[in-house]
Parts: sequence; structure tokens; C-alpha cells
Amino acid sequence: MVAVKLIPQLISWFGIVLVLLRGFPGLRSVVTTTSISGFAIGVSGAFFMFRSLPAAIPFGAVKSALGVSFLLLWGISVAAIYRSTGRRVTISSGARLVNTSIGAGTGAVLAGIITGLVCACRISGTDGNFPKLLFLVLIAGILTVIALAVEKRLPASLTVSPSGMLTAVVALLLFCSSSSLRLDLFSPLSMKVMKGVHDFVHQFMESVLIPDHLFVRSVVWGYIGLLFGKEVGFWGGMIIWFTPAILIALAINFQRLPSVAHIRQGARRRKLLADAIRNKRMLLITPLFSLAIFAAAAYQSSFPSVEYWDPKPEPVTASPSGEIFIPKKGEINLEDGKLHKYLFKQEGKEARFFVLLSPAGQLTVDLDACAICKPDGYGQAEGSVICYYCKTLIPLDTVGKPGGCNPVPIQFTEKADGVAIDGMTLLNAWSSTVRATARVKEGGK
Amino acid sequence: MKRLLQTILTAASSRALPPLVVGFFFLVYIGIAFFTNETLITLMAFTRNSLILDGILALIPLNSALRILQETCWHLKKRRVLNGKTSDVKPALFDESVELTAAPSFSDLQSRLGAVGYKTRRSENAVTAWRGASIFPARILFLAGTFCLFTGILISITTRTSHRQMVVEGEPLPVPEGIGGRVERITLANSSGPILRKTLTMEVAPSSSGYGKRVFGIYPPSMYGGSFVYPRYLGLALLLRFSAPDLPAGIEKHSILNCYPPGKEASEEIPGSPYRIVFSIPEPVAGSDRYISYMTGNVTLKFKLLKGKEVLFSGSAPGGGEFVRDGYRLAFPDIRRLVVTDYIGDYGVFFIWVAALLFIGAGCIWLPVRLFFPRREMLFRYDQGVATACSLAEGGARTHAGVFHEMLDMIDARRGEASVV
Amino acid sequence: MATTIIETGGLTRSYGDICALKPLDLQVPEGEWLSVMGHSGSGKSTLMNLVGGLDRPSAGSLMVGGEDLLALSEDGLARFRREFVGIIFQQHHLVPYLTAVENVMLAQYFHSVPDEAEARSALERVGLGHRLKNRPGELSGGEQQRVCIARAIINSPKLLLGDEPTGNLDHKSTVMIMELLKELRAEERFTVVMVTHNQEVAAWGDRTIYLDDGVLVREERTNS
Repeated sequence: MVAVKLIPQLISWFGIVLVLLRGFPGLRSVVTTTSISGFAIGVSGAFFMFRSLPAAIPFGAVKSALGVSFLLLWGISVAAIYRSTGRRVTISSGARLVNTSIGAGTGAVLAGIITGLVCACRISGTDGNFPKLLFLVLIAGILTVIALAVEKRLPASLTVSPSGMLTAVVALLLFCSSSSLRLDLFSPLSMKVMKGVHDFVHQFMESVLIPDHLFVRSVVWGYIGLLFGKEVGFWGGMIIWFTPAILIALAINFQRLPSVAHIRQGARRRKLLADAIRNKRMLLITPLFSLAIFAAAAYQSSFPSVEYWDPKPEPVTASPSGEIFIPKKGEINLEDGKLHKYLFKQEGKEARFFVLLSPAGQLTVDLDACAICKPDGYGQAEGSVICYYCKTLIPLDTVGKPGGCNPVPIQFTEKADGVAIDGMTLLNAWSSTVRATARVKEGGK
Repeated sequence: MKRLLQTILTAASSRALPPLVVGFFFLVYIGIAFFTNETLITLMAFTRNSLILDGILALIPLNSALRILQETCWHLKKRRVLNGKTSDVKPALFDESVELTAAPSFSDLQSRLGAVGYKTRRSENAVTAWRGASIFPARILFLAGTFCLFTGILISITTRTSHRQMVVEGEPLPVPEGIGGRVERITLANSSGPILRKTLTMEVAPSSSGYGKRVFGIYPPSMYGGSFVYPRYLGLALLLRFSAPDLPAGIEKHSILNCYPPGKEASEEIPGSPYRIVFSIPEPVAGSDRYISYMTGNVTLKFKLLKGKEVLFSGSAPGGGEFVRDGYRLAFPDIRRLVVTDYIGDYGVFFIWVAALLFIGAGCIWLPVRLFFPRREMLFRYDQGVATACSLAEGGARTHAGVFHEMLDMIDARRGEASVV
Repeated sequence: MATTIIETGGLTRSYGDICALKPLDLQVPEGEWLSVMGHSGSGKSTLMNLVGGLDRPSAGSLMVGGEDLLALSEDGLARFRREFVGIIFQQHHLVPYLTAVENVMLAQYFHSVPDEAEARSALERVGLGHRLKNRPGELSGGEQQRVCIARAIINSPKLLLGDEPTGNLDHKSTVMIMELLKELRAEERFTVVMVTHNQEVAAWGDRTIYLDDGVLVREERTNS
């Protein structure tokens, strides 16, 4: 059962060992020993962290480690593209370092630790115990041995550059973490990108004194509006997600061929160039393969295989004085601890909101949207609600408090038989919270 | 000391510096994002208040300036080498550089290179061949653009001031210092331009503070008293008279209504009373411009009178008109056009505009040159029994390398023969 | 003493019940021009195909340029042909819609690194500098065969194989081709194995072996 639950993680581990073995030729024993040791350290580290600390801390630590490895990949990819556009073909000091035993050992142990942590999080987050974790290390060990055997059978010409190896390892780490909602990086990245792009474009337009949309042709504004649109976070996230692997592939492709001007026989010149070109093509395989893994990770993040409680919004109307009243009992029991969604329409304006009884026994009324993301709405899982857009989990205790990706709370009056909400307040809150480009009619996810 | 300076200079002019600085700010941005949602604004505020961050950001324009100098030096050096004016051929100036102990026949090389489309120049002991145009000008424009962009950002972040003012027709132009001239007319008209759909002009009479007659448009914004006049939104300045059964004396007040586009509500409290009036501009009849009322000045205001939370009644009245019901009286004796305007003190904007032009210029040169006339150069020298051959192709080119190798083969085939110069 | 470039031991090639080449022991020193004579069906083309890595023997050993051709995979054999052997056939096998220089460049494509300047130079070496842009249909038989020679030598082979390269040419053209091959061999120092049934052509070689019904029946030194 453990193995089934961990299939993506174990596949990733197998891939990581394979890539490490190929990436550090001649250091097979070092890589094998350090990687599996790292895995065991990661698993036991997670075990102790989950035992002694609140779950949010180990999850946060592992997520940070994944984030740092992704940033490292970004840094390396930019450095690689800069080096490749230079005039001389040289071996970087970083590339020299990774080919030493210390470099290989450090890389392998770090990759092992992070993978071990991710795998352990998958179990320990819910029902982890020591025998299960021991079993996990055993399976990882078996997979390492299989990877060792498989790697020997791979064609010798299939070489991996240090940057390509890092790309593949990070891609596999992100793939194995993307199936765990609390470790997933892609969705929060999309959210941050949307906010970042919006802020940046807004700031840029203010900086260079560009007139507001009132004065600008709607076609032109339409193009500018794309940058404020709801999909910019997803596509921007995609760009940031894939760019390092693309940059590394480009860096390999742009690498200058060796100078053959000193050779006076055309066929030898061509043979040398052909060898260099063939080698380049082989080196390209890993980053291109990594692109596919990054895509799989993004897909897994965008379509998680978890079902949420997400009722269809019930239409509600306001009284002549503008008050919306929702009874506590009736077809819907407001105090059953579940999320209840409503849709209010008035004079062409709409707002989506939900009512929820918190674990502390307090009713709360909130917009089905937060102040940051596009209003894809929320679903309810055990102990939390999830923002469908950025996949942030909001503990039920904090629903009703403002800030971050929390649903925007709405003022309401709790009466003995129900809750009363001011329709105008609701509409104003929705329109001021949800950005002009977001569409309310989608009805959530 | 000299060595230290040299190291600093090499680091400051390194190609790797701008991405490092950008990467550093990106990391700071990510760090800030953990604590606040207003990440960019916070980062800008940090940079504004921190000399260290300013210094780090200033490394980019410094780097661009140094690179302009360095790359220009290299370019001139290479030209001198190619023109045969110096025998000091530095391999670093070229992609490939080979020495052969054979005496080239310069005339053979020239005729061969000419046959495959290269222009050649012969000097006493050298032949230079080239084709296409260099992207050096585009590169310099790009570096100059980078210099201007980051200088502009730096100036903008550290010195920008902003004051929001209401420019009202018939009133003196509000300026940060002194008294501005009277705003004679505000005109909103349709535009046939490709980008702007409306033109807005604010005509200002000469002022007693020494400002001459001025006309302000939308873009690019003009300067007045050292600040850019940046029109943001349209509104109305209203002189409102209101009386009610429980407020028989009534009140008269000037109101600023930020009520465009039509449908947007602007609320006005009646001081010392429970009354509140919510104004809006009615949507014009179908087919009319949404801003027709602002353009013509014939404004009819819709209003809702509220007492506390209770809506008493709603209605509408034109400028100069009044509305009376149940002892309530609303009169709008004067409605004037108004532009919500920001006065932006920021010389960095000039640099950013110039940067945009330089980037466009660089792109316009780079793309066609790279695609259609890429630069290829070769140099063959013969000094003291050694032939030096150098080759350079901007963007890299296999065909050019093939020709270069052929020339080398031609020279090598003459091993043992005397030089033909 | 010259090293041996081709060494066969009991080299045999059978097609079903038919034995095209019976166990053959042969050594060819590096740089030699070996003519192989025999009537049709004597096994001379079979021998050339085996030596050139175009076919695999049924039995025996075959070392060419230090490579054991029997041990090479299909990829290895392709690399061997690409980098070690140049072949000139009686039928020129030129691509009719490509120019002379493009036909030569085709052989360079095996390295994925075409070099027009080098192809042009090779055609100039075979005396076709003025016919670079002509298609095969616009060239005479002798010129076509010279394009084949340029194509065969473009990858600087160590071994040049000819299968009746002058079979379709008149006497004058034959002599021109043979002289050209002789000149090129002097410059490039490659080994030549030339299959022919023309005694006059065989006489251009250093040594001639005679095959009959797949058996080496005679060999003689020539003094060309």
C-alpha cells in the first residue's frame, strides 16, 4: 500500500539515481552509497520532525528546500546561457567541481535527502510510522540497485552535462513533490506570478506615465489587459517553470564547436565537428526529457487527484431594504460544518460567497474568492479549505480572518434563525476585491 | 593597489554582472513575498531607503557604461588590425586564429575570396576579407538602452515625488509651488490615433508666478514647474445647494465628483446632517459616446438622497437646474469639468523613454543585420615567415568556417614556397 | 615494411547452396593498388563488398584497417564505411537532380557537417572546377565518373574500392580516370582495391589477383 501511494515518488527516485550515475561517470560507488544514505537521512529526518514539530514546519522546510533547488537551477541555467554565448569553449569551475568525488557525493546526498524527505512527507503527513518508513528505505535501496544495473546497459554515447543532470534531478524532485498538495510549488508560483505581473505592469505604466484606459483605444487596452488577465499567472508560471530547462538546452545548443582551423584535412575537420555535434545532441536529451517531466509536474499540480466538497452556489436575493437573509435550518443546514455557497445577483452585478461554521462553532460569511488570486473559489477538504487557483490550504480555524489567500470575510449579522448580509456591501466587496478582468460567471471551479 | 583596481574594473565590466544584480533583486523580491502581498511596492520602498540597495542597482548602469567603452575599444582595435594598421593581432579579438609556417599567395587568396562573395583589401603584408554588416552599432545602442533604463529606474525610485491635484476649469492650475495660471478650457475630444481614442487638452493662461500660456495633452505628458502633468481620471466640480424640511436654511458646498465613466457612483456627505447624496452620470442614449456629457458640458446628474441607510428618493437634474420634492431641494447652479491630475516630479522618466527608443533602434538594426547581412571577417597576415589567419563570424556560420578552412588549406599547400606579396 | 591494411583468413561467402567466395586468405599492404580480375560470377564483387563492409562473410576472418569487421555492429559497420572506405561503382549512382558539387556534398552529410568549399575543392582536384553547378545529365560519362571519384575521396578514405569504375568508358576516358586515381593515390596515400575484367585497367595496379569460381587461382605483380 505504501509503495502504491508512493509510485510517482519512487519512479522519481529511480530516475534521479539513474541520472546521477550517468552524470558522474566513474564515480558509481560514491554516487550509489551517498544517494541511498541521503535518502535514509531524509526519511529519518522527516520521521523525527513529524514526531517533534507541528506538521506545518516539516512541510514548510521541505517546500523551502524544493524552492531553493529550483532557484539554484535558475541560477545555473542563466550562468550556462551566459557562458555559452561567450567566445571561448571552456570548462567552468563548477563543472570541474562536480566531477570530483566530493562534488558527486555532496550532490547525490543532497538529492537523496530531499527525495527522502518528500517521500516521507507523503506518508508521515497523515499516517506515517517507523516500519512504513523503514520499508520505504528498503524499496529505495532496491530501486538504486536496479538503476545501477539499468545504467550499465544505457548506450555509452548518452552523456549528461552537469547542468543537464541538475535539470533532470530538480525536474524529478518537483514531479515527485507535485502530487502532494502541501509540497507543490507550481500552483503557489502561478499565484505569485499573477500578483507580480500585475504589480509590475501597473508600476511600469505609472512610472512612464502611460494614460489610463479611458484615453486608450480598447484594442490597445485589450492587449495591455492580457497582462492583468486571469490566465497570466498560469502562463507566467509556466514560463518560469520551464525556462531553466529551456535555457540549459539552449546553452548546450549554443555551445561553440571546437576550432578545427589548425587541421589541414577536411574530412578530419568534419569528423571532429560531427563528433562535437553528436555529443551536443546527446547532451540535449536530458534537458529535453526534463521538460517533459516539468510538464508532468505542472499537470499533476493543476489537476490534483483529490476530490473536494464543492456545492453548486445557491442563488439568493435581497429584500427591498437590500438585506440577504439565509436561514440556519431548512434545505441547507448552515451549522453542519460544511461549506455552503451562494450567488447573489442585483442590477447586473454578481457576487459569490459562502457560509461556514468554523470548528470553534462560529459562523463566518466570506467571499468565494481571496484578494490575491483569480476567483476560482474554494473547496473543502478535511480540516481546511483549498483555494482552487493557487492550491493553498487554509485551515478551517483561520477562515473568516482576512489576509493572504484567505477567503475575504464579509460583515454579517447573526440572528437566532439565520444570517443577514447587506447586499450592497457584498457586491462592493466582490467588485473591489476581485480584479476587473476576473469573471464571476464561471461559478468557481 | 593597481591590481586591486584592475580586478574591480574587470568585475564591474563583466557580462555576468547585470544578471547577478537582477538575480539578487529577484531573491530579495522572493524573500519579501514571504511576508507581504505588496511585494514590489515594498521592494521599491526598501530600495528607496537603502543606500546599499541603490548602490547594487547602480552597478548595472555602471556596467553598461564600462562595457560600451570596452566594446568600443575592442571594435576599434579590431578595425585597426583589419585595416593592417597594426601587426599586434590579438587572438581574443577573433573566433579562430591559426599560425602556419607557409607563405600565402595574397593574390590567390583575394581572387578566391572575391569569387565566393567577400570584399577584400590588400595591404603590404596582409589581406582582409569581409562581408555583411556588423551588429556593433546595435550592441552599443542596446548597452546605451540598458544604461538609460536602469539609470531611469534608479532616479525614479530614489527621487520620484507625486502630488494629486484637481484641475478645474476656470480655476487656477494647482501647482506644488506658487500659483498656476487659470485653466481656461478643458477639452475632451475623440481621436483618430492608433493608440489613443480620446484627446484631452487643458489650456492654461499665463500666471502671475511667471508661467506662460500652456496647453497640456495626454501623452507624452508636459512639464509644468518641474513636474509632469499626468492626467488620470475625469470628474466634475459641483456647486451644490441642498435644503431639507429639517434643514430649512440649507447648505451650499463645493463638491468634487469622481463620477466618470457613467454609472460610477460618487457619494457626498452633507456635513452636520444625516443626509448623504449619491451622484452618478446616467448612461447616454445608445450610439452616443459614453463621455458625451463631459465633451459637451451638458451634464445631467442622477442622484439618490439617503438619510442614514434609508433611500428617500432619487431623481436627476441638469447643470444649472434644481430638483424639489417633499420639502427637499437640490440645486446644481454650477458644474464644471475637472481632471484628477498627478504632478509627478521624476526625471528618470526621460531616461526610460530614451531607453525605449534605444532598444527599438537596436532591435531594428540587429534583426535584419543578423538575418540577412551577418558580418564575417577574415585576416591573413604574413610576418617573418609565419602566416597568421584569423576569422570571425557574428552569430557563428558554418559556411564562413568552410571558406576560412579552404583558405588555410590553400596557404598550407604552399608550404616551402616563397611568399608572393 | 608496410603494415597490412586488409587481412582475410578463410574468408567465405555463401548464398544458400551457392558459395560465391570460397575460403580465401589474402593480405593487402597499406598503400598498395590491388587489381582483382575474373570473369562474371567469379566472386570478385563479393570480395569487394566484404572488404568494404557492404556485406558480411559467412565464415572466416576479415580485418580491415585493424578493425575486425565480423565483430562490428550494424552501426559500427556504417561508421566504418563512412570513415574508412570510398567506393566507385561502374554505375555512377549520382543523384540526377543535384549539381555536381551537391552530389559530392551528399557524402559529407554522413558527418552532418557539409562543407561546400571543400566539395568544390575536391571537384577542382578531379578537374571539374568548371562543372560545379552542372547536373549529372549535363556531364559526359568520364566527367560523371570523376564526380564519383571526388565523392569517394571527400572523406579522405584509407581504402578506395572500385567496382569496374571504367566499365562504361571509352579508352581515352579510361586512361584519364586511371591517371587521376594514380595522382590522387600519390597525394592521399590510400590503398586501392579495383575489381575489373579489363587486363589493361588491371595493369595500373601493383598486383593483380585472379579469381575463378570464388577461388584465388593466380596472382602476379605488375610493373606499371
